[in-house]
Amino acid sequence: MLFTIGGVAAQPCTIQFSGLVVSDTGEPLTGATLKLNEKTFTVADQEGKFHFKNLCRGEFTLTIQFVGYHTKTVTLSLTQNLQQTYTLYPDITQLQEVIVADQLQGIEHAYNFAALTEKQLAATAGKTLGEAVKELAGVNTIQAGPGIFKPVIHGVHSQRILILNYGIRQEGQQWGAEHAPEIDPMMASNIVVIKDASAIKYGTDALGGVIIVNPAPLPESPGLGGSVNAILQSNGRSGTISGVLEGGINNHKGWGWRTQGTLKRAGDFHTPDYNLTNTGIQEMNFSGAVGYHNEGNCFEIYFSRFQSEIGILKGTAISNLEDLLSAFERVPPLYTSEFSYSIGEPRQTVSHNLLKINSELPVSSGTWKLQYGFQNNNRREYDIRIGGLSQVPAIHLQLNTHTLETEFETKASAKQTYSVGVTGMYQDNKNIPGTQRIPFIPNFVNLSGGAFGISKFSIGKFSVDAGIRYDYRYYQVSGYDFKNTLYQSQLSFSNLSATLGASRQLQGNQKISTSLSSAWRPPHVAELYSLGTHQSAAAIEYGLLLNDSTNEVMNIEDVTYHNEQALKWVTSYTRAWANLQLDLSAYANYIFNYIYQKPTGVTQNVRGVYPYFRYTQTDALFAGADVAASWNVNTHWSLHPKATLLWAADVKQHDYLVFIPPNRYELTLRYDRATQKKVKNFFAESRLKVVDQQHRVPRTITVREFFEAIDNNTDPLQGSTANFDFMDAPHAYALMNVATGVTLKNEKVQYDIRLVTENLLNTTYREYTNRFRYYANDLGSNFLLSLKCTF
Amino acid sequence: MTITRPIQIITTSFSFFIALFLSGCENDDPAREDTPELITQVTLTFTPPGSSPITVTATDPDGEGIQDLIVDGPINLAKNTTYTLTLELINGLANPADPAYNITEEVEEESDEHLFFFAWTNNTFSDPAGDGNIDNRSDAVNYNDTDANGLPVGLSTTWTTTDVSASGTFRVILKHQPNLKSATSTATMGESDVDLTFTLNVN
Repeated sequence: MLFTIGGVAAQPCTIQFSGLVVSDTGEPLTGATLKLNEKTFTVADQEGKFHFKNLCRGEFTLTIQFVGYHTKTVTLSLTQNLQQTYTLYPDITQLQEVIVADQLQGIEHAYNFAALTEKQLAATAGKTLGEAVKELAGVNTIQAGPGIFKPVIHGVHSQRILILNYGIRQEGQQWGAEHAPEIDPMMASNIVVIKDASAIKYGTDALGGVIIVNPAPLPESPGLGGSVNAILQSNGRSGTISGVLEGGINNHKGWGWRTQGTLKRAGDFHTPDYNLTNTGIQEMNFSGAVGYHNEGNCFEIYFSRFQSEIGILKGTAISNLEDLLSAFERVPPLYTSEFSYSIGEPRQTVSHNLLKINSELPVSSGTWKLQYGFQNNNRREYDIRIGGLSQVPAIHLQLNTHTLETEFETKASAKQTYSVGVTGMYQDNKNIPGTQRIPFIPNFVNLSGGAFGISKFSIGKFSVDAGIRYDYRYYQVSGYDFKNTLYQSQLSFSNLSATLGASRQLQGNQKISTSLSSAWRPPHVAELYSLGTHQSAAAIEYGLLLNDSTNEVMNIEDVTYHNEQALKWVTSYTRAWANLQLDLSAYANYIFNYIYQKPTGVTQNVRGVYPYFRYTQTDALFAGADVAASWNVNTHWSLHPKATLLWAADVKQHDYLVFIPPNRYELTLRYDRATQKKVKNFFAESRLKVVDQQHRVPRTITVREFFEAIDNNTDPLQGSTANFDFMDAPHAYALMNVATGVTLKNEKVQYDIRLVTENLLNTTYREYTNRFRYYANDLGSNFLLSLKCTF
Repeated sequence: MTITRPIQIITTSFSFFIALFLSGCENDDPAREDTPELITQVTLTFTPPGSSPITVTATDPDGEGIQDLIVDGPINLAKNTTYTLTLELINGLANPADPAYNITEEVEEESDEHLFFFAWTNNTFSDPAGDGNIDNRSDAVNYNDTDANGLPVGLSTTWTTTDVSASGTFRVILKHQPNLKSATSTATMGESDVDLTFTLNVN
């Protein structure tokens, strides 16, 4: 098939359509959704302004929606640039669905979610996915130095949250605390975080929630558009350049394409006082998509590649407990030297390839969706090793995942929809030979299947969602035990998940919703069979299936194992006044048979003394509240407070868990001004972030105390297997960030310029959830300059 | 363009990928890795001139497994005698014919990155005097070998016991110090490949 790419010369589609959305009282309706022909959409900004560009001549249907207001539908005939003001009228009786359900994909059945819109996402350009979602209330990160961020939703992470990368379950080596999601946030136009466990459509594992990374819909009409974004940052002396080019295809209505790429290079980051040697990053990402959309038919092919190399702070390269003691007490860390872009050992190189093909077909009674995904994940971890092995990865894993999903959705009435689906996954994890080390996790094949049904309907004034799902997983495992002898096992797991949620629109732009969901997950192979030491951990980890006294691999029937199962309740309340928007949510997530690493003892080998941790099960409770508000003091000034509160404990053993994010508060003061003509959207903001000290922590046993106990021939764990940490939690800290930006615009091109200073006062601090807090301070000031050009 | 074309594409693509999927469904056992870094046995040989050597060994029965190290000893040395101490590092999980078996050779090959440190109870040796260079690098140890940069290694060292009976401990640390090893690099720098403590008697 040959296409000619729609050029500007052939058929100019350059009409701009812009304007204002206001309430009956003249207030701008920030966040109102505007859709053209049910396909192209935008959101009204802080001042209620909206803007469509690159439109072709023709007839359009414009739909404007805003929570608590009557939806407005108008027909337009566009022949030239158009400016319009639309007024929406309040509708307090209307049973409103989730506010931006049409704009944000994947939240049809969610009751508690938060989203980074295109604009908010643009303000995090240059950051990793984890750092970007951390902007949302209820979301934190587990960090391993300045380059590795794992998202945490309501206190849980890794195998307990699900990441959907353009609709495909992200399958990487997510079991490792220093394994960040392999996704370039620059490809996304919005990111949604679902914080209830309602997303049963996407399968097991979503005990804490789901992160949905969505690119913009593909163009459907001819024309060429795109953007280039360049970001420079002083801390790490990093440069990021990202570009998008997209368009339709001439004479082939409905066809569209997009390519996107990002290059990033950073050197050693620094704290207020010293460099963090060997923390550089190199990243090269690419994605491309082609699709066809017409009258409900949809067909898309998408490919993306993520590739990164990340240096791990050299001062964390340690072997035994004695090394750990030296590393903890040394300021600055060992190996600290001049700034450099070079990345040495320890380091990791990761690549992730995704191919997705999906289609949607309207059939007589509904829509039929079909989606196939192939993911290829490669991970190499290099350590400082003897025998010339530093250039040989200590861990080298290749994970191939095929997913096939189909779903049928039908509308019984305007207020009632049903959806049923079947999903299948085939996954193959291989240790690539040549690491010259007993593999940390075994090879395995994972075959999974699931079926679900969800319905959305109304009971009186309530909008109700109910769903049920069954999942089955089969593992075939083969690996080597501590004696380097082969073991093989076959395991299978199955269980049900269910969700029930209801929401109700109340008078005065209030909405209340509550949901109760049960979710489960099969154990990850790493939790069952892990064996050995980890990068920068100075501890040995043993999986659930390794015998307590002999360390031999056992059958799952011979140990007490139960599937991890969560019961999560979330209630949220939102209210919008003329100048004030309030979002409150409270939750409790009780996780039965919670799998965690429990300190179990101390062992000695030729290299010295090591504490060891065994994967064990207990019951854990995570409870908390997320608060976010926006107050428009007047047309220019606004105030945005935010709080993320969390309480977590091991309820079975009356103990606290480690690495639970402490309470976090944020206050942003923002000034916006839409000046005339070419200069638009000037803003300046100042943000104060306060992170409390985590007081709900397990006991501290310092490395010194370990040695004193060993010298005195007493038990360093003091006869108890209660959790412990090597160091007290760091003190509370406050950071000040300031940012300013402006948008310049002419007929064809828009420039967004943004200048940000993070940690303005160069405050020295350590973050409790950063695994490198034992070794070094966190980052000092960072100046960021971003220039984005959209055409 | 009519709608049939995309549907044809879908059907073809799906059958292609399902074929690919099925073809990928074979499972191989992982290859057994050599483990050249794993040191399960360290032997200290004290050889006096003209008589039989005294050896002590520390053996790790299970590598990264849970069982503790078995440390021989004590090291029984004669008074007022000069010994040459040689160290041997073995990976007992490898086949003795395998190059991975003898880790001493690997340390020799990378001698510019490796350094043995020693500590002992004061007054057990007359030469070197003191208590060793683990707490203070500049303290005396009689190294017999040097690396390409002229820095000591410690696979071979010389020791003269005191002329009175004494007892205490003898500790050996092997540090891996890539780009860190210098005339002043200390026992707290780099990663520990060996850290063992034996009982020492001088009679």
